[in-house]
Amino acid sequence: MRRYRRNLGLLAILTSTLLLTSCSNKNISGLGFPKGVSSVNDTSGPLWYWAWVTAGIVGVSTFILLMWPVFFHRKKSDEFSKQTRYNIPIEIAYTLIPFIIVAVLFAYTVRDQSKITKVDAPGSAPHTIAINAIQWSWQFTYKDAATSPTVTGTPAQRPELVLPLGEKVLFDITASDVDHGFWIPAFMIQMQALPHIVNHLEFAAEKLGTFPGRCNILCGRNHSQMLFTVKVVTPTQYTAYINSLKVA
Amino acid sequence: MTTFAEPTITSPNYSAPKSKGQSKGRLFVKWITSTDHKTIGYLYLITSFIWFLIAGVLALVLRAELARPGLQFLSTEQYNQIFTMHGTVMLLMFATPLFVGFANVIMPLQIGAADVAFPRLNMLSYWLYLFGGLMAFGGFLSPGGAASFGWTAYAPLASSQYSPGIGGDLWVIGLAVSGLGTILGGVNFITTIFTMRAPGMTMFRMSIFTWNVLLTSILVLLAFPPLAAAFLALESDRLFGSHIFDSANGGAMLWQHLFWFFGHPEVYILALPFFGIASEILPVFSRKPIFGYKGLIAATIGIAALSVSVWAHHMYASGQVLLPFFSFMTFLIGVPTGVKFFNWIGTMWGGSLTFETPMLFVMGFLVTFLFGGLTGIILASPPLDFAVSASYFVVAHFHYVLFGTVVFAMFGGFYFWWPKMTGRMLNERLGKIHFWTLFFGFHLTFLVQHWLGIKGMPRRYADYLGTDGFTTLNTISTIGSFLLGLSMIPYVVNVWISRKSPKVMVDDPWGYGASLEWATSCPPPRHNFTSIPRIRSERPAFDLHYPHMAHTDGGH
Repeated sequence: MRRYRRNLGLLAILTSTLLLTSCSNKNISGLGFPKGVSSVNDTSGPLWYWAWVTAGIVGVSTFILLMWPVFFHRKKSDEFSKQTRYNIPIEIAYTLIPFIIVAVLFAYTVRDQSKITKVDAPGSAPHTIAINAIQWSWQFTYKDAATSPTVTGTPAQRPELVLPLGEKVLFDITASDVDHGFWIPAFMIQMQALPHIVNHLEFAAEKLGTFPGRCNILCGRNHSQMLFTVKVVTPTQYTAYINSLKVA
Repeated sequence: MTTFAEPTITSPNYSAPKSKGQSKGRLFVKWITSTDHKTIGYLYLITSFIWFLIAGVLALVLRAELARPGLQFLSTEQYNQIFTMHGTVMLLMFATPLFVGFANVIMPLQIGAADVAFPRLNMLSYWLYLFGGLMAFGGFLSPGGAASFGWTAYAPLASSQYSPGIGGDLWVIGLAVSGLGTILGGVNFITTIFTMRAPGMTMFRMSIFTWNVLLTSILVLLAFPPLAAAFLALESDRLFGSHIFDSANGGAMLWQHLFWFFGHPEVYILALPFFGIASEILPVFSRKPIFGYKGLIAATIGIAALSVSVWAHHMYASGQVLLPFFSFMTFLIGVPTGVKFFNWIGTMWGGSLTFETPMLFVMGFLVTFLFGGLTGIILASPPLDFAVSASYFVVAHFHYVLFGTVVFAMFGGFYFWWPKMTGRMLNERLGKIHFWTLFFGFHLTFLVQHWLGIKGMPRRYADYLGTDGFTTLNTISTIGSFLLGLSMIPYVVNVWISRKSPKVMVDDPWGYGASLEWATSCPPPRHNFTSIPRIRSERPAFDLHYPHMAHTDGGH
């Protein structure tokens, strides 16, 4: 019974740690991801951090439980130790605790994923760019400009995707031939580009600069050369850029 | 029900001294025409281990190419062929048949049966597997080379339009043939477990390994037929020009759904039997019964049931699936997996632990699988999956889960059951060298790949740029992979010298075996048992050897 109570204590610590997750997200580490570069990072970054904190707590405590008998319950004599077969309270505890942990993680997941996957109705988004994946490069069509100019890249001449700083852009993502993956690693976001299907994604870039983008679904021989560059510029520069493009 | 061995067998030594009837040629014919579940099991184990070595060499070629930026000795097309065949061979010609091998050798012994229910079908399954595998791999000999569309064969990339060449056809049909062998194996195991248990061997006295073989076989029957159907439909597209996976008809998503409806249960088809092996080894070297036996079985049933409802977590980024449902199911599967983990810890807790080689490998499995499970929980969350899906983070997670389970538990099982299978022990010192080289090699290779994924390296890339910042981590990973490759040398040497090690004269060389295979000789006679002990609990061999400790099902 004493051990049972200790498990309950552990449970209380774990849940309260998780409940604290909504506080002080400003000072947390990106754990490998840059912070403040896109609206997706603002949502997914804290989830990534707190999911790792939870995984760390669970992992370290399980590891200690695993290593404890390795060091302290070695064979000392030929006498048999107690042949325990069941311990119902402990069994209930180690079924319930993981359930509570994943339920909490799921709650935050649902909250955050609905933020990330939310898109404006077509036409009402501030900016719209159509992404078309082809073997083995990308076509970007800027629908904001009256002429809807298209930029087409090649494996050797990687195309540039120009985005306006701080403004939401709706992406219509599709492919001409086989499955591709539209991935901007620094922005923590990807979406498959599938033939005959148009996927939608909406986010805002929040930092000036260039970021690599890559195709991450195997698409044939030159898959690893299907790269592009995201270039985030000020909204004025963005307007100037799309107006300077010739109609393809 | 149970047939007992012919009384003429007095010596446990089935490879009797060479007489005229025992020349190498005759032995060969005897093996390839055998209907003995043990011999067929050895054929499966040997064949799948050879595939493991072949696919391992392919992996080293990939790692060598990735060590530095730029293409050094492969073209991108060759690179694509090699990773396609690495994945295909590892999953469908190594890990899946390895389960069939272990199940064949061990399961009938554990339930006190003389053979499997359909011995001839058993041999047919093996031939389907062998020739199906050779067909798929034979693509390398074709003019266009082997299949290069990845082991996932996403349509429309796998169509004749985007991947022409006979290599792709050989791959599709070879795997369909080999898959039929797996389905028949599943049928055989289920029938055997349901109908051929020894008197007294109730379902809740079966060893955990046998339970896991049962549930794995049920998953095989759920997962492999849809795969076979998908393969035949794909081949009909490729050969006869049908439009089943034409993307204009929604074929791109249809393939992803069908493939992962197989692909996810497949992960558990690979995991469950090896969880079973770990559950056999831990009690023996802890000198305690498995902790929470019935809860452990319930957890396994839970995993098997949930595993057919999580397939679309491979497709979060497709934009075409109901994220909350598949995310919740995926999180949920973490619960029974956690339960199993605590069962294993509970088994060790308060025991008298020793660390012979089989136990070391199980510890390697537990540590590796723990980390692979935690990254799995991270990936179960769609927002986090959007950040790292289809990157090296997933490659690392996948290898932690599957290599951690299949390979560590396989070697655990080899060292553990070697005396049962061959009548001789493997060397402990070489075993420990083998374990530690494998352990460090593995973690050096795959731990750093998590960071590669977070930095943005996609999977299946033949090359990367010097400016990407991937170079150092890739070099470390490659060095680790060669260390991992080297770890096979002490093992092969160990197997070789074990021919000369002294014969095991007792039924249970480890001293604390629990399940029924430890109540017959090493190796067992042709029909497995000369007598069957009374089965009163889930530890019949232990009850037999330690009657004063015997525990009956009365209560806990």
